[in-house]
Order: sequence, then C-alpha cells, then structure tokens
Amino acid sequence: MEIDSDVPMQDASEEPLDPTLDEDSPEFQTQANPGSSGIADHKSSKPLELTASNIGQLDQWIEHLGKCQILSEEDVSRLCKMAVDVLQFEENVQPVHVPVTICGDVHGQFHDLIELFKIGGPCPDTNYLFMGDYVDRGYYSVETVSYLVAMKVRYPKRITILRGNHESRQITQVYGFYDECLRKYGSANVWKMFTDLFDYFPITALVDNKVFCLHGGLSPMIETIDQVRELNRIQEVPHEGPMCDLLWSDPDDRGGWGISPRGAGFTFGQDISEQFNHTNDLSLIARAHQLVMEGYAWSHQQSVVTIFSAPNYCYRCGNQAAIMEVDENHNRQFLQYDPSMRPGEPTVSRKTPDYFL
Amino acid sequence: MTENHTQSKEGEHEVGKNGEDLYPLALLMDELKHDDIANRVEAMKKLDTIALALGPQRTRDELVPFLTEVAQDDEDEVFAVLAEQLGKFVPYIGGSKFATLLLPALEILASTEETLVRDKAVESLNNIAQELSEDQLFHDFIPLIEHLATAEWFSSKVSSCGLFKSVLARVKDDKFRKELLALYLQLIQDDTPMVRRAAGKNLPTLIDLLTQNPDLSTAEDWDYISNMFQKVIGDSQDSVKFLAVDILISILKFFNKKKDITHSKDLLHSAVQMIGDEAWRVRYMAADRFDELASQFAFDSHYIEELTSPFLALCEDNESDVRKAVAKQLPGFSKLLGNPEIILKKILPAVQNLSMDESEAVRASLASEVTNLAPLLQKQDAIDHLIPILLNMLKDEYPDVRLNIIAKLKVVNDVVGITLLSENLLPAITELAKDVNWRVRMAIIDYIPLLAEQLGVEFFDQQLGDLCLSWLWDTVYSIRNAAVVNLRKLTEIFGSDWSRDEIIARLLKSDSQLLENFVYRITLLNALTELVPVVSLEVVNDKILPFINHLAEDAVPNIRFNVAKSYAVVIESFCKDKPKYLELINTSIIPALEKLCNDEDVDVRYFASQSLEEAKACLN
Repeated sequence: MEIDSDVPMQDASEEPLDPTLDEDSPEFQTQANPGSSGIADHKSSKPLELTASNIGQLDQWIEHLGKCQILSEEDVSRLCKMAVDVLQFEENVQPVHVPVTICGDVHGQFHDLIELFKIGGPCPDTNYLFMGDYVDRGYYSVETVSYLVAMKVRYPKRITILRGNHESRQITQVYGFYDECLRKYGSANVWKMFTDLFDYFPITALVDNKVFCLHGGLSPMIETIDQVRELNRIQEVPHEGPMCDLLWSDPDDRGGWGISPRGAGFTFGQDISEQFNHTNDLSLIARAHQLVMEGYAWSHQQSVVTIFSAPNYCYRCGNQAAIMEVDENHNRQFLQYDPSMRPGEPTVSRKTPDYFL
Repeated sequence: MTENHTQSKEGEHEVGKNGEDLYPLALLMDELKHDDIANRVEAMKKLDTIALALGPQRTRDELVPFLTEVAQDDEDEVFAVLAEQLGKFVPYIGGSKFATLLLPALEILASTEETLVRDKAVESLNNIAQELSEDQLFHDFIPLIEHLATAEWFSSKVSSCGLFKSVLARVKDDKFRKELLALYLQLIQDDTPMVRRAAGKNLPTLIDLLTQNPDLSTAEDWDYISNMFQKVIGDSQDSVKFLAVDILISILKFFNKKKDITHSKDLLHSAVQMIGDEAWRVRYMAADRFDELASQFAFDSHYIEELTSPFLALCEDNESDVRKAVAKQLPGFSKLLGNPEIILKKILPAVQNLSMDESEAVRASLASEVTNLAPLLQKQDAIDHLIPILLNMLKDEYPDVRLNIIAKLKVVNDVVGITLLSENLLPAITELAKDVNWRVRMAIIDYIPLLAEQLGVEFFDQQLGDLCLSWLWDTVYSIRNAAVVNLRKLTEIFGSDWSRDEIIARLLKSDSQLLENFVYRITLLNALTELVPVVSLEVVNDKILPFINHLAEDAVPNIRFNVAKSYAVVIESFCKDKPKYLELINTSIIPALEKLCNDEDVDVRYFASQSLEEAKACLN
C-alpha cells in the first residue's frame, strides 16, 4: 500500500495532544464547557421527527448548499440543533443495512464530493456511509460538512456520517476549518456549533453485522464490538484511550501492536485484524484515514480495506479517489474517480495563456 | 441652504437636525464615512435610491458636488462603484441638459491609478456622451478628452484613448475632426508603452466608426490613420505591435466598403509582413485572425493565392500557440481558396501534420474545426484523405481531441453519407463508447440522438441499439442516468411502437442475475418511468405498470420509494384519458400507494404520501 504518512505525521507533531496542557491558553478556555454554542442546550428526549415545514426547509438548504453556497449563521444553528436530535440517538456502533456505498475522507473538497455523487448516484436513491474527515485541508470545509449534515437530517436512514479524527476542536484549529469559518462568517460561532455537533457523531458502523466501518483502526483496549458500544462517545476526541484509537490507528505490515508515528492511536498487524474479525464474526474492516494512490487499498490479506475519497488530495497529491459499493448480496465493487472539473474552467480546450494582459 | 453641510465633513449631523427630508443624505454620508470599507461600498451601491429621494434639484446642488469631493478621497473599491453609478446618473439630475455636471467627478476617476476604476469611469463617460448635445460635446466633453490626453501621467492618457469613439463620428466639421486625429496620433506615439497600447487597441473601433459613416472622412483623415498604422506596425514593443493586425483588418474593411482597391497591394504587403514577423506574438495575432484578415482580400483570388504560403508557414510555426491558433482557421481559409483541388494538395498535408502535432492543445484546437473541411472537398477526396485523418484523431490519447471531433461529426455525415460513416466512423464511436474516461462516454451518449435522427431507424437498430442499452449497466451513475434520458430521446424520435418492441421488450427481458443488484433494478425502473410520458398509454398499461407493481414489494427501500415516485408519473399520464383509466387508478394504483404510505421505512412513507397528493391534484 502506498501511504502518504508524511501528511498525517504532521497531525501528530503540530496538534496539542494533551488538552490539560492547553487549558490555560485563551483559545482553549471556551472549550472547557462543551456545548457552549448552545446547539445542544435543548436536546429532545426522542429522535427528531420531520414535519412538512422542516422538510421544505431542509430541501431548500440542500439545494442551496448543492450550489456550494454557505448557509447563514442562524440556519447553521437551526441545522445543528436538528442534527443533535438525530445523532444523539444513533449508537456508537451504528447499524447499517446493505445496499450501501462506503466512502472515505472528503476534507473540504466540495466539488469532488459532488463528483462522488455523480459516480455513485444521488442520495437518497443511493445509501451512503461516510467514514469521517469532512473538514480541513480543502477550501470548502464549511459547505462540505453543512451539506452532509443537512443530508443526514433530511434522510437519516439513507446516509450515515461517522466521526473522523479531524472532526475535533483541536485538529480543526490547526488544519483549516477554524480559519475557514472565521473567514466565511466573521466569527468562530459556526465553528463552535459544528465542533459541538461532532461530539454526537457515531464513531463506528456495522454493515449487516459483517463489515465494521470506522475512520482509523483498532485499539488494543477493544477486543469485541460490544466494548465499543460501552464507550461514552459524546465528548471531544480524547488524546488517548479506545475512542482515540478508533479514530487514529493505522494497519501496518508488522504484526502485533506498534507505536503510531502520528503520536496518537496505534499501528496494528495482520494477526490483530484477523483475530478481531474472527472474534466478532466479521468479513471485513473498512476504514479511511490514509491517502492511497488508487483511492482504495487492501491490507492484511483482505481483512482490512482503506478507502480514500478525496481525489488529488490537497489539490496536489495526484491520487485517484474511490468509493466501495456493497450490494444487497454483499458483493463489493470499487468505483474510482478523478478530480471534478473545476467550475469556470473550460471543459474542452485549455485556457489560452494570458500573454496579452 | 445646506451647501455648507454637504461640503464639510463636520456638517453631517446638522443636516440631520434640519428636518426629516434630509435624513437619507445624512445617512448616506454617515455610511460613506464609515470606518469599514464594506459599509462605504454598500452605501455607494445605493446611490440611486438616495438620488431619487432627494429629487433632481438637490441631487445636482448637493449630492453631485459631494460625490465629486468623495472621488478625490477614498479607496479604489469605493471609486469603482462610484464610477459605475455615475454613468447611470443622468436621469436623477434632471436629464441630459445637466449631464455635464457629472463630468468633473468622472474626470478625476478616469485619472486614478487603478485600472478597474479607470475602465468604469471611461465606460460611464461614454454612456453620458451618448446623451450630450453637439453643443455640450464641444464645450465640455472634447475639452475633457484633450485635458486627459495631454495630462502628465499615463493613467489619464490611457483613459482618454477610450473616449474618442464617443465623439469622432459626431464631429461633422472636418477641421475639428482633423484636430482630434492629430491628438490621437500623439497618443499613438506616446513615450510610455501603456498609452501606445491603449491607443492601438482603440484605433480599430475608431476606424470602424468611419466605415459606418463612409462619406464622413477626408483624404487628410486617412493620411493620419495611415500614419498611425505605420507607427504601430513599427513599434519597438511586441505588445503594441501585435495590435496592428486588428487595425489592418479595420482599414481593409473601410476600403472594401468604399470599393477602393488602390491600396490593396500595399496592405497585402503589410499583412504578409506581419504574418512573417519575427515577434511570435504578432504572428500569433495574425494566425488568430487569419480568416477575417484574408477574407478582406476575397475580391481577388490572386491575393488569396499570395496568402497561401504565409498561411502554411504559420501551420509549421515553431511556437505551439501560433499553430494552435492557426489550426482553427483551416476551414475558413480553405473556403476562401474555394478550389477543392488546391485544398486537397496544399491544405490537407498541413492538416495531416497538425493532426500529429506534439502539442495536445494544437491537436485539440484542430479537432474543434477540422470536420468543417469536409464540405469543401470533393466527396471522394474527403473519403480518401480527410476521413483517415479524422479516424486517427478519434484514437488520440488526449480525450479533448476525441471529444472535439465527435462533437462536430454531423457535418461529415452530410458530406460522406450514412453508409460510409457507418463503415468508417462507427467502429471508432463504439470504441469510444467504452472509453475509461466516463466524460468521454458521456459525450458519445449526448451525440447519439443526433446520430439516430440521421441514421434512420433500421440502421440504428442494427448498429447502435445494443450499445444504447448497454450504457444502462455502466458502473458510473451519471452514465446510467444519461442512458435513461437517451432512451427517452430515441423514443421521441422513433415513436411509441418502436420503443415498445426495441426498448421496453428488451428491458423487460434483462438478465435476472444482473437485476440481483439493486443498482440495476433502480436503473431499469428509472428507464421505464422516463419512457412513460413519451409512449402510448396502452404501452404504459400493458408493459410498464406491471413491472412497477412487481417492484412495489422489493426488499430494498430505495426501490420502493422510487416505485412511489413512478406511480405519480403513471397517474399523471393516465389522467390524459380519465374515462378509460380512472377506474384502474382508483382500484389499483391508489391502493398500492396507500399501502406504501404505511411502509416500515420513513422515506418510502414520505415519497408515497407525496405521490398520493400529486395523484389527488391530478384527479381533481
């Protein structure tokens, strides 16, 4: 597998891993109280049931966001409040049925997300499972995460959105989402709302009891899927422990557990994957988190698959992207795709150089 | 009474106290002095509202002087909006007789350093000039031009170049016009290249104005213009020199309109000189405008012949950008040559070379126009010599080349006919229909209805029917969806009976193993639903509805809610013949929808209830 381990390694070196160290610094003080954006102040005691007016509103937002236009701050607040009442009732191991199309990192590459839907089909006709990392790096994190969350609220049974290691207050302050919110809204309010919402995202999903999906990988503290169910996930991604590992770990060619070069999570070998799949009666672990040049890559003799859905990652890596379709008979098909054509660029001939300007 | 206030920045609050009617102006001025530039820009954009509120008299007396002051002291963003607004301001100040009041502010803006502001100011000045009387032109506008043209800084002079077009044709007095041209000649030979460039760029427009008024200009005027052309063509800067191409075209147009051919030989000489210029930008410009340039010599076939070898030289130019530009001119110039023999002997070898050019941009550029050569050749020559080139280009490794050829195949059809096209091009199309790049496949699908119309039904069924159905099973959703739309378009062309026998019957016999994947069941459902509005109601009833019913109990909810959507489409069609189908709707489809309204899946329930509502609206 070709892995661009440089990029994630920066995560490790630059992120403030120990939140206790940062509590004195001003920008982290506001985080002492999760939910400070107020989106979770009036949580419902039962899952959101959509009314006709909700649906009209959501359809309008989805259409608007589909054109890569941001919602107003008030609308983001309303959207996040609705999303809390959907996501808080999902499980740590959210059950998902086939057929479903499984996708990896998107990282704010909004136009490539639209390309993904052109390849895989529109939601709700196609069911989707996204394995995290919607924000940071790309230029359109706000649009991307707003769009996916709006879809989630509108069609909760048709789309599942898991949490990635970038769906976190700390990481987004370093890798772009925080700055983008500040630039597009003039304040950090929208960033606060979304990062508060991220705490409610499910951390793993189980496709018909056979395919275990999560952003990063396994944890030495987790042997069974039931142990994942017992975690308290409604919190900022911790800097260590099982929840952190699920979002940070990577498979490795070396057997057993290893120290991750990222500074969080672990590396795990084929023996670990096979044992986990055997214990839990799984056929496959599907995860994202690492750049793979073909868009997908097998490891551990097809016990683990990595899926990466941001083509030409960071607009320069030159990689293909992929999604994995699992049909109702558990047949799998990978669809690879290239970057979308950028809006405003000519579709056929190349732009004439501006020699004469 | 408020003159003081509008002119002095401290006065703004007193204006507010003077009465409610002054409020808008006070508010605007507050906003215009806001610390945040975004507020000032927004305030400027609302200038017309303010002017309306104030009325013409006070807009003239208070607002315009105030704006003239603003034009000297703010940021470029604010200036840009102001410059644009002033161009639309004539109605607000009481009509054209007061229009010259707007000139001082615009003159200031036309002298700023920022190009964007200057351009907008020049545009607005030209707008206002349209409304000025002859008298106002002479007293105010022309002096403004002279003032700008003789200013010290290049920015003012550049702006002045864009203003001559508003006055030149309106000056009936030969002496004044000569003075204007003399002034322009100074700009053409200004010290700074920026001014020379602006003057060169605007010169064709001025010449075109004289062409539109052929009896206006005198021989003396043309001495000036000829002099200007010589200056530009001899300029030391390439970025000025290349403007001579457009100037020459305009000059040629004038003399052609006058049917004056005394200068043709000299001008042809100038043209050939530019085509072979040592500066590649000049050659690029000549290549880019070749068709238009050469067509000015169309009255004499000898001249066109003389242009042939310079043209072929451009096709072999060292610079790929020159070749790219000239590749688009091949059909245009060939048409001027007229003689199919010469095209075959001289042009086609150049086409052959360009089709194998090392630069993909050159090949793509050639591909976008080359098919237009087909009607200019003898039919047999087109088949023997052009078609092989096109076939090779259809195999180009660069998708844009292939796409450009496909997009313009129709013209080849018209010439070589269907049979030959099928023998030669269809294999290539079939090949491209399986291209790994899905956008290439998409382009082929988009082309199919066009092809179908020309091929006729029999040929189509033999050659393309299978292909059209096979796209439904593509792995990429957008291709499947395009295939669905394509089937509807084909049905619109070939009719309902054809669709029943050739499409629907075959769709219903689809491989059952394939249909185990819900992706293909949903595609089939979409395809049949798409056909509902374009086939006869009998076909809907006999063939399509049973299939939809059969999917209503599918295990996959996504299928079931698409069934609910399909029912709405079927009902809408059946409503065209209510007497016959009302009972079926009420006893079969509505109950099926009602059942889906109680489905275990929330989305199925939602779409079923939506369809039920639509059905009820149709039935009432």
